[in-house]
Amino acid sequence: MENAIEIINLHKRFGEVKALDGLSFTVRPGEIYGLIGPNGAGKTTALRILATLIKPSAGSARIFGLDVEKNPNDVRRIISYLPEEAGAYKNLSGLEYLEFMAAFYFANKEEAQESILEAARISGLGKRLKDKVKTYSKGMTRRLLIARALMMKPRLAILDEPTSGLDIIHAHHIRRVIQNYVEKHGVTVMLSSHNMLEVEFLCTRVALINRGRILIEGTPDEIKSRYGVDNLEEAFMEATGSA
Amino acid sequence: MPSALSNLVKKEIKEMLRDPKILLGMVLMPLIVFPIMGAAINMSTSTIEKSMRTATLAVMKLDHGPMADQLIASFKALNVSLLEIQASPINEAIRNLEKTNITTLIVIPPGFTENLTSGLKGELDVYAILRSISLSEGAKASAANAPISIYEKTLVYQAVKQAFPDRKPENVLDPIAVKSYVMFRGRLLNISPEFLQGIFMSQSFGFPMVIMLLLISAMQIAATSISIEKEEKTLETLLTLPVRRLSILAGKLAGSIVVAAAGAIAAIIGVNFYAASIFSFAPAGSVDLAELGLSLSPLAYFLLGVTMFVTIISALALAICIAVFSENVREAQSLIGPFSLIVILPSLVLMFADIDVLPFYFQIILYLMPYTHSILASKAAFIGDYITMLRSIACISLFTIVVLYIAAKIFTTEKVITARLTLRKPKIRQ
Ligand SMILES: Nc1ncnc2c1ncn2[C@@H]1O[C@H](COP(=O)(O)OP(=O)(O)OP(=O)(O)O)[C@@H](O)[C@H]1O
Ligand SMILES: [Mg+2]
Repeated sequence: MENAIEIINLHKRFGEVKALDGLSFTVRPGEIYGLIGPNGAGKTTALRILATLIKPSAGSARIFGLDVEKNPNDVRRIISYLPEEAGAYKNLSGLEYLEFMAAFYFANKEEAQESILEAARISGLGKRLKDKVKTYSKGMTRRLLIARALMMKPRLAILDEPTSGLDIIHAHHIRRVIQNYVEKHGVTVMLSSHNMLEVEFLCTRVALINRGRILIEGTPDEIKSRYGVDNLEEAFMEATGSA
Repeated sequence: MPSALSNLVKKEIKEMLRDPKILLGMVLMPLIVFPIMGAAINMSTSTIEKSMRTATLAVMKLDHGPMADQLIASFKALNVSLLEIQASPINEAIRNLEKTNITTLIVIPPGFTENLTSGLKGELDVYAILRSISLSEGAKASAANAPISIYEKTLVYQAVKQAFPDRKPENVLDPIAVKSYVMFRGRLLNISPEFLQGIFMSQSFGFPMVIMLLLISAMQIAATSISIEKEEKTLETLLTLPVRRLSILAGKLAGSIVVAAAGAIAAIIGVNFYAASIFSFAPAGSVDLAELGLSLSPLAYFLLGVTMFVTIISALALAICIAVFSENVREAQSLIGPFSLIVILPSLVLMFADIDVLPFYFQIILYLMPYTHSILASKAAFIGDYITMLRSIACISLFTIVVLYIAAKIFTTEKVITARLTLRKPKIRQ
């Protein structure tokens, strides 16, 4: 079976800054793959390349066999992307936002309606969906956006720090939703996170990156045993030389 | 997918028209501010008139001849409220008057009658008593002028009548009567050139003004809508959707046009109110402009519409290109500022002058500014100069195509996400 993601020797420069410096990894369908690393490591840059927002300076990235640089339009049909720290249209209600987004994926009204109901459930916003987005708290907006990213059941969901800004209960709820989507709908997930508990709980495999390269990759258990530590946080500190 | 485009346009309009800043600033403000401005100006002019009417004069008669009595009688005949005061030293009289609401003291010195009857100038001393410095107070100061000059005219008429008993004094004083005709576009019109000029003025003034308002508000709207998307990172989400990038750009343009048009209509309605209350003597009403051949032909209307359309598109695309380099709304507004100059400068200059009377180098500079051509086209519309209109439309369309091309390029590359203006901060010396 073809890989969900295949990144080979990816480079990205912003002027003097080397954001990615030879990044390579593959993700199999149905995996939840986590990118972890310190601030400025290049996580967002890698996810943006996968999401067809920016182009690599060198190397290649494929999603289900489609080259992100050569076939961005085809890629966009099978992915969804959740930017870090994003907002929604402030003067639309949460429901209007979901309707706006659903219309791009479903020509059929019933299918669209079904996905909107699904999104309403994921977001847990209930009646507040009728309110304008500008009245939402940070966490409520985040839940709306995650619901948006999952509602069309993409083949690959690219989530940049999905649960940042969420309280423990809602973060837990969202993790369950993500797992559920992977199991029930065969969605593959690529996420980045600063929450090691989350990564350990959620990810089938993890890549620890720094300065645009992979330091170590494997299942959370493999990484822990490699460094002989009890949790991913300690492994992170060891790997980045901060311990 | 055209439904994707309409989905985008609907969202743009909803999002913008619900934004209190845009709604207030672009749509409601012109509707409220212009009429208020007009009303304020109206009110202050009417207060001036009123204070002139209510100004009360005091007169101190030191001459005992009949002309002094005649002067006072003529004032009274004009319904001027007049207080005759006793002869007293001037300083003292004025000090007393300061306690009242009298604004002007007219002193008729001794010898007034004698001078007038013996062919010399009759002298009057007029003292204005001001209590503050304002327009209406200043108007009061000259309250005595009108009645005095009316009396003066009576004296002149009397003198003329005595000298030429068998002629009408008007004919002696104003011996030549001029009747005006205007030849305009092969037609003989029974109007004065000043009147025609007034119509031209209102058109040469009005159009640049409307174009300026429209373009600047359109640019602000487009810039705001892009920079909000950048600030909130909704643009990143939008660009990963299965929608053509050009549809996203077209959606932005179309949405901004609709909102800008709403703003423009509000501005035009507002300005009309304003103009109506200021220029209440506006000449156009009484004369049929179509009769004069001054109304727009259907072709001119059409070409004017085309001009406005390409002009607005280019301004919106330009604003989008600029705003892409900003990271938030405030930055976008300040980036747009300098670019408004290429709209404002030609509008202002061409409001007051025709381009061919300007110095050569200045003409070149103006011709290089794309929006000069929009205004030239609108002016040409009124004189039916279709060649100029077509030429201007070609110029502005060329500019529009270039800007649209750049906007499309920016939107189809990663620039739309990564572009930013890195203004290097001056390094702090250690
Ligand atoms: N548009 C850009 N222009 C210039 N430099 C950029 C740009 N985007 C990212 N960079 C640089 O690339 C590097 C990697 O940034 P990136 O956002 O990928 O890090 P990250 O791992 O997501 O960090 P964080 O954990 O803080 O989100 C950083 O040094 C950053 O300054
Ligand atoms: Mg990041």
